[in-house]
Amino acid sequence: MTTDVDTARRVRPGPLVAAGLCVLVVTLLVTVAIGPADLSVGEVARSIAGHLGLDVAPVPRLHDAIVWELRLPRVLTAACVGAGLALAGAVMQSLTRNPLADPYLLGLSSGASLGAVAVLVLGVSLLLPVAAFAGALLALVVTLTLARVGGTLTPGRAVLAGVAVAQLCAAGTSLVIFWTATGDSYREILTWLLGSLAGATWQSVAIAGSAVVVVGSVVLAQGVRLDAFAFGDTAAASLGIDVERTRWTLLVLVALLTGAMVAVSGSIGFVGLVLPHAVGALSGPLHRRLLPSVAIAGAVFLVWADTIARTLFDPRELPVGVVTALVGVPVFVVLLRRRAGTWGA
Amino acid sequence: MDVRIERLGVRLGGRWVVDGVVATPPSGALTGLLGPNGAGKTTLLRLVAGLLAPEAGAVLLDERAVHDVERRERARRIALLEQDSSSALPLTVREVVALGRIPHRSAWGADPDPGAVDVALASASATHLADRPWAQLSGGERQRVHVARALAQQPALLLLDEPTNHLDIAAQLSMLDFVHRLGADGTTTIAALHDLNLAATFCDHVLVLAQGRLVAAGPPTDVLTADLIHEVWGVQADVLTHPRTGRPLIAWGRATPDRRPGPRG
Repeated sequence: MTTDVDTARRVRPGPLVAAGLCVLVVTLLVTVAIGPADLSVGEVARSIAGHLGLDVAPVPRLHDAIVWELRLPRVLTAACVGAGLALAGAVMQSLTRNPLADPYLLGLSSGASLGAVAVLVLGVSLLLPVAAFAGALLALVVTLTLARVGGTLTPGRAVLAGVAVAQLCAAGTSLVIFWTATGDSYREILTWLLGSLAGATWQSVAIAGSAVVVVGSVVLAQGVRLDAFAFGDTAAASLGIDVERTRWTLLVLVALLTGAMVAVSGSIGFVGLVLPHAVGALSGPLHRRLLPSVAIAGAVFLVWADTIARTLFDPRELPVGVVTALVGVPVFVVLLRRRAGTWGA
Repeated sequence: MDVRIERLGVRLGGRWVVDGVVATPPSGALTGLLGPNGAGKTTLLRLVAGLLAPEAGAVLLDERAVHDVERRERARRIALLEQDSSSALPLTVREVVALGRIPHRSAWGADPDPGAVDVALASASATHLADRPWAQLSGGERQRVHVARALAQQPALLLLDEPTNHLDIAAQLSMLDFVHRLGADGTTTIAALHDLNLAATFCDHVLVLAQGRLVAAGPPTDVLTADLIHEVWGVQADVLTHPRTGRPLIAWGRATPDRRPGPRG
């Protein structure tokens, strides 16, 4: 019965993506206008148009700076990170045939966090995003190496090894904090572990944006191959898919994407876990329809979550990961109830 | 399509699971692959499908080794229907059948034969199921949809691993009758089967495997004798003649517990 609801509520893919893009554009304009300094949506639009070289009535310089230097980079970073995490989650769930998989599955976020904390606390002389990225990649390499020890490298073993690596990195992070952190650095570390977009700059937009565009288009081109995994590896192979190559190519791409996301924003939970399921209920599970919609939905979701995080208790900021969890968990529970039939393995 | 199995062998976990099999399943006909559990039926089907690389010998399709055929081209010529294949995704029947078109489509391009899914649904008598959620179908309906998915691949060689598993007797009969009739369009079919009476009724040719070796091959009337059944399955049986079809009709006696089934020689 529950699956009947899922297939009956589908929306056609064209209108779904078009509607999503409209919502995204409106979201970007509106959320840039929201904040302590009073701006109108019109001013936001004019400021952006001005910077894009269009001939429009100028905006007061202070407002223009708030839009272009402060809020727009942050909102765009949120959009890119949201899109990236949601895409990564959707691909991970398909590759591992595990509805609970998320972008952080292979120890990625823990490794990135350890790298970042090492920089923050130990004063390792590296840029923080670089350290986070390096930590994520290192965790991935350790995970895949562990998974290969004494057996063949299967997705199941990779996931188990990822759990172990995640625990190890978390312990390392705690240890570093326990021995060294004082005063303000605690706060900075906590913010980072729960995820935050407070430090977003145009550089973050460039990192997250190029990762989403490059990896996203490759992943989208593989959409049909991902569909072939619906009935498992043998079924995919008998449909002419090179199962191993497809799987590892996509795993590494998702790791790169996730590393880039964590590098600019810390580890923001629940976006990659919940959104593929929520969007899948509208678009259906086939990837050429699911992936574009899920990326747009992830962008919209995280932009709003971050807007709430930065304005709700102004001037204090909530870590955005707190907001995504507060919204994500109830959504997940609803999905769990509705899809009891298909998740009841 | 002409299929030739040439001294085929593969080891899994050190044991020869398929061992020196030589066979020529007839083209445009239904071949039954018979044998006790663990005889190597599934592994042989995977080898023929090109999903597993042989360690010895080869499978030749129209004189070309199946393992040398490029993957997508192979998937356009051979379809394999696995045992107990299921998905946790909320797919509709039409979407499941359309998966069979993947080898015919490029990454972005449209299907070169847009009507293929409808044709496959119709020939598997599954058109009325097209918009139903796959997860809600009965076992017989699911199997029918899997066959439609395999047909959407437009294969010249169809491999079925226990297609009648978990089906009631009416569904078993209609499934095998349908598969047998595919031969009229030139499709060569090899089906692993457990029920010897069904195999005797519908198959044009049977291959009997025991412990990875081929122990008998030929028309069911010649192959399915009481001696062979006793030898391979370790079961006493009387082989009668079906009063209507003239095919072998196996009346089961009892298992002989002191004697382990095994291959000859």
